[in-house]
Order: sequence, then structure tokens, then C-alpha cells
Amino acid sequence: MKREWYRTAAAALCGALLCTALPDAAYAESDKQTDAAYAESDKQMDAGQAAGNEQTDAAQAAGNEQTDAAQTAGEEQAGAVREVTLRVCNWEEYIDLGEWDEEETIDLESGDIIGVNSMVEDFETWYLETYGIKVNVEYSTFGTNEDLYNMLTLGDVYDIVCPSEYMIMKLMAQGQLVPLSDEFFDTSDENNYYINGVSPYIRSIFEENEINGEAWSKYAAGYMWGITGIVYNPELVSEEDASSWKILNDPAYYRQVTIKDNVRDSYFAAVGALKSDLLTSEEFLQDADYQKNLEREMNDTSPETIALVQDYLQDVKNNAYSFETDSGKADMVTGKVAANYQWSGDAVYTMDQADEDDFTLAFAVPEESTNIYFDGWVMLKSGIGEDAAKQHAAEAFINFTSRPDNVIRNMYYIGYTSVISGGEDERIFEYADWCYGAEEDEEDAVDYDIGYFFTEDGNSGDYVITAPADQADRQLSAQYPSQEAIARSAIMVYFDDAQNEAINQMWIGVRCFNIYDMPVWAWALIVLAAAAAVMLVRMKRKKHG
Amino acid sequence: MGRISFSRKSLGIPYALFLAIFVVAPLLVLIYYAFTNGQGQFTLSNLTGFFTNPNTLGTLCYSFAISITTTAVCLLLAYPTAYILAKSRLKAKSVIVMIFIMPMWINFSLRITALKEILTLIENNLAFYPFLNAVIGMTYDFLPFMILPIYNTIVKLDESLLEAARDLGADEREAFLKVTLPLSIPGIVSGIAMVFLPAMTNYVVLDMLYNSTYIMGSLIGSYFAAYNWNGGSMIALILLAIICLFTLLTRGMEEEDNPRGGALL
Repeated sequence: MKREWYRTAAAALCGALLCTALPDAAYAESDKQTDAAYAESDKQMDAGQAAGNEQTDAAQAAGNEQTDAAQTAGEEQAGAVREVTLRVCNWEEYIDLGEWDEEETIDLESGDIIGVNSMVEDFETWYLETYGIKVNVEYSTFGTNEDLYNMLTLGDVYDIVCPSEYMIMKLMAQGQLVPLSDEFFDTSDENNYYINGVSPYIRSIFEENEINGEAWSKYAAGYMWGITGIVYNPELVSEEDASSWKILNDPAYYRQVTIKDNVRDSYFAAVGALKSDLLTSEEFLQDADYQKNLEREMNDTSPETIALVQDYLQDVKNNAYSFETDSGKADMVTGKVAANYQWSGDAVYTMDQADEDDFTLAFAVPEESTNIYFDGWVMLKSGIGEDAAKQHAAEAFINFTSRPDNVIRNMYYIGYTSVISGGEDERIFEYADWCYGAEEDEEDAVDYDIGYFFTEDGNSGDYVITAPADQADRQLSAQYPSQEAIARSAIMVYFDDAQNEAINQMWIGVRCFNIYDMPVWAWALIVLAAAAAVMLVRMKRKKHG
Repeated sequence: MGRISFSRKSLGIPYALFLAIFVVAPLLVLIYYAFTNGQGQFTLSNLTGFFTNPNTLGTLCYSFAISITTTAVCLLLAYPTAYILAKSRLKAKSVIVMIFIMPMWINFSLRITALKEILTLIENNLAFYPFLNAVIGMTYDFLPFMILPIYNTIVKLDESLLEAARDLGADEREAFLKVTLPLSIPGIVSGIAMVFLPAMTNYVVLDMLYNSTYIMGSLIGSYFAAYNWNGGSMIALILLAIICLFTLLTRGMEEEDNPRGGALL
């Protein structure tokens, strides 16, 4: 170990001496020996980086020594090295993978935040330092909730996964999950970053929503959340038009709007558009049970509604640009489409990308209702089983990703909004203000109140961002939806098998070409082709016979 | 020192193993799922369901329409190209053939993304012509598979047959119709087989070019995404049956037309 350290120091020194231009973070990651070679031949390593390298390596060396010490201690005590393997499965690109450029540093007043290593590596280091146990994280990813479910059904084993709320409900209903331990909710333990930092607003949702009489919070810890809405190009689409789900089949935007290529999102939008008049009526809005009624209406899966939705989506298919899962973001930025049904986290990303090209996009939350969604960590029986050490590591993983600085790293990296508000720690609000707050000389600034997310009672002047006026309907409104948008948000519940079957059939009906729609000429063509084939075969027979 | 020797049989073992694990076993699983319901009981309802559902039948027709058009366009483009190429006296022939193959070396999704941009430039809005775009995308993707087999058959044609035809009084047109074309049919048939079948299921092209109508591949995918593995397996099985039937038919034609054999595929 000592020799290696010596070599690194030499490499760093060479780098410092030969420093020229072109700092490149990739080199910091590369092998130490090649580092030295690069520094000498390519002269591409700059001094700062070399120093950084030196520092990390020193830290690592120290860490390693500590490990050794901890391990020997462990061996002496238990007679074996304490090691845990944790199998994590998360959405693709849904955690900070590190390797930020120096200039990406988030310079909050309370200190700089930067992602050097991947969060998973940092967790392994942190767990060892905090609990003296070596954890090996096997990190893998999935593409859709349905993919994850199929993977689990086929026998893939994970300890902790991060599906969306309806899949969590499905897994809960099937009894596949391990409940979170009491220690996880112990607010006196300062390492319990989740329970000490989760937004009161999100916590109450997780406690109030139940399936089979059990609250979500018993099994699930939130990770990211958001709402659905419309990203639009203000030069082509008015804010009013973008603020209704009806834009999807509006002939004024023929072939200019994209819609999500999955049945649940499309269903929600269709129901919103179909019931638009009801949902926006004064009577409905003023009802004492508004929230309850809204959730019931938006989760309506009666056969009549499904039939109406099918017709509506058929119209949408004939009017929209396309169904898309991922291409919508790029198509929005390159100007191929004028509006795009989007999840708020991806909306932030899309608008950021557009800003880089000096192209302005905005975000609107439909006035009928918006689908509020959550992705959360749950532990699986098939992976964790009765293994207490594993469960401890899994819960520690949730807590580590909930530590305010890590929350900020993740939010910066993936664009989505964390369920963590930080509790006593003010850094998350500070980060929101850092991102969206107006400069002091900004003339056209508005106050944007997100107290509902940060405080228990929802009222508080402390959590107001003074933002440039246009931010109120741009990134900020997607990152932290306004209170009005939240007021008309509805959770889309988990449908049982019969409902799912009906909705999936509806969806296939929308997407398939129906044979009854086949034009007469096509039938005629088929008959002609068949006749020709028969003739051909006959002629062949004659010739040969 | 014993000499190491392999009998012919033992040389086949690796492939037999591969076949058993990756082809036969999955096929058996597929058949099991296709003929059972969610509870694992035997049923034919998946089969009857396929032939009574207007959506699945419609999708079958739509897939056929796309792949027939694609195959026809490919053939019309590929035959003259292959013919000219094979007949030319150019020394750099192999270089030109290389140019046709080269696109295949570039990543598929990259090529389609580039095509998307080009089509957007031409059409302004891709969503107006979903069928046309699907056919263009597939043609672009599969053309080399049509050119190569045809080129290979024509280039290997016995020149003396043409000379004989001319000696016997056939003009250029007749010589082509009566000698070259019939003899190049094996190439055409294997070209068609290599284009027609993938075109029925390659839904990635449709997805990337914004054709929102399902073809067979995406239909199967949607059944699996809806946890209906049984229905999805049945569609896959039916597609397999169609493909087998198609291969048998074309093989029959090939043998009839070309008694000397010499098929490429």
C-alpha cells in the first residue's frame, strides 16, 4: 500500500510540474500508473486536479487503513470478516454517478457540494466508516415498472428496489415486501436522515394512503416525486391551451404534440380531458370533499369511461405527433414538436437543455388535474428475507441517499425532485433558492411560496423564493409545483387485475390497426393477390405435368 | 502420444448444446405458455382469441402490408443495382459492394436517428406520413440484405449460357428474361426471406420514426408489458408458424425453378 501511495504522489507531482491546459476529469478516475504516463506524455493534467487526486488517494489510503483496522477488530471479536452484499435495482440514470467537472460545483453559502465518486461508492465508504461493516453494493437498473415486475417474477433477486407508487401498491398487495424496521423511524438517531428529513407533505401522503389497510409508509420510503404536465413552446402554444389536457386532441395542434407511450399516463390525461367541464366547474371545486371526489373521478375505471377513453385516445393517435417514451425531450428541444406531455422531472431537464440552446420552453400544469407520482425504496422478501444485517444495510442506503448533500447531488444530476426537505437542515431550500432565486437587481421578480413542502403547517414566509417572473411557469414550477397545482393533484391508484386487464385491452385497441377499418381497396387487393397466387400454382402444375 | 482426434459427431456437440439451451428450451417454454392460461391450465383460448380479435388480425394485416411493400421496394432497388454491379467490368467492383455493406457496420439506432433528421428536413413533419416513413426506414435498413444474395447469384452465372442464348438468336431482352432472370431466382428468394420476415417484427424502426400503430413485434411486447405472457407467447408462436409456412413455400418454389440446386440460403 505504501509503495502505491508513493507512486501516486510522484504522479501528482509530475502533473503539477507539467501542468498545461485541458483539465479532464476522466483522467482523475483512471489508473494511477497510467496517470503518470499521461501526465508525462500528454501533458494534460493540471495542478488542481493533481492535487485533488492526491487528496482523494490520501483519503482512500486512510480509509483503507481504517478498514484493515476495523476488520482486524471484527475478526478478533466475531472470528470472521463482517461483509454484507446489497443488491439494489433502480431506474436508469436515477442516482448521481459522480465525475462532475470542477465548474459544476454547487457553491452554497453553507459549503460546496460536488459529486466526485458515484453515490454508490460513497455509500460503501460511509457505511464502513459509520458502522464498521463492509458492504458490497451490486447496483443494477430497470427501464419500466412493468420490466421490474417481470424481472422479479422471473426470479431475479434484489434486496431493495425503487418502483413507482402503483407498483409499490401491487407488491404490497401481493405480500412481497419487508416492512421498514422501527429503528428506521427513530428520530433520535442522527444517521436516520430519511425520517429526520422527509418533507412533512410527502410523509403525510405516505401515511394516509393505504392498500388493504396498510399505509404506504410501513413498507416504502420515498425517493423522488413529481407531477405530470405539458412542456410547451410559448411562441407556438398559448399558456391557456397548454393548461388543459384537451391540447392532446386539439386540431389546432395537428401533429405537433407528443403523448406518453404508456397506458397509465395516457389514461389519466384522457380522463382529465373527457371530464374537463366537470373538473373545472365551480360546484365541483367548491365541494367540501373536493380532494376525495377528484381522486375518485381521476381513477374512474367503469366500462363506460374506458370505452370513452378508447375513443378519445384513438382521436389523439390520429391528431398527435406520436406516442413516445424518451424521444419527446429531444424533439421538444430540437423544435420538432410544439408541446409534449411530460413528467415534471424530465420537464426540468428539457427546459434546461433548451436554455443551453437559447431556446425558451415553458411548463404548464393542466387545470383539470395533474397526476402526482412517487418513486420509493422498498425491500423485497425474496432478497432480504430474515437477514437483519442486510436489512440494516438497505435502510442505511435509504438514509444515505436522504442526507441533504446527497439529495442535492442527486437532484442536480437527474433533475427530479427529492421527497426530502431536509428537516432542520436548510441546505435543500438553499439549493432551490440557489437554482431559481433572482439576482438582487432583477426587476421583474415574483415571490414563489413552497412552504407546503418544507413545513408542517404549510404556512410560512420562510420558504418563499424570490424568482424571476418567468421562472414561475418554467423550471421552478416543475421542480416544486405551486400550491395551486398541488391542490388539484390526484394520485393514480393501483388497479386490480380485472381493471388492469380492461385498461390494457383498451390500450391495445387504441394502438392496433383494427381489421374492420381496412379499406375496401385493400380487401380487393388481397382477393386479387390470392387469385393470382392460385393461377400461378396452376400454371406451374400444367407446365410440369 | 495419442493423436487427438475428433469424430464428426463430437464436433457437433457444442452447437447441439447451444441449440438445446438457447433454441429448443425457450421454444418449449413458449409453447407451454401459449397453450396455458394464467393458472397454468391447458387452454386453446389464446389461439381462438387471436383469430377472433379484430385488433390482432388487423395488426397482422398491417404488418403484412408494411413488409410486403418494403420487400417490393427493396427488390425493385436491389435487382437493377446488383445486376449492373455484377455485369460491370469495373476493377473496383468489390469496393462498390463494400460501399453497400458499409452502412451495416454503423450502429443501427444511430443510422435511424440520422434518417429521422433527414426525413424531417424533407417532410417537415414526420407524423404526416407514418406508413411511408416505416417503409423508408425498413428499406434503408434491409437493402443490403437484398442486394448481396442477388449480386452473388448473378456474378456466379455461367456466361456461356448467355452466349448460347445469343447464338440461338435471342436478343438482349430475351436473353435476360429467359436466362438471367430465371437463374437468379434463388438469390431473389433468399433476399426476400431476409427482408420480409424481419420487416414484420422490427418495431424499433417504427417507434423511432413515430409510427404509433403496432406491428407484430410491438403487439407481442405490449402483451408482455401487460403481464399477459400467455397471449403474448401465442402471438409469437403464430408468427413462428407463419414464418415456417412462408419458408416452406419459398423453398418449394426455389426447388421447382432451379432443379440444379445452388440456393444461397
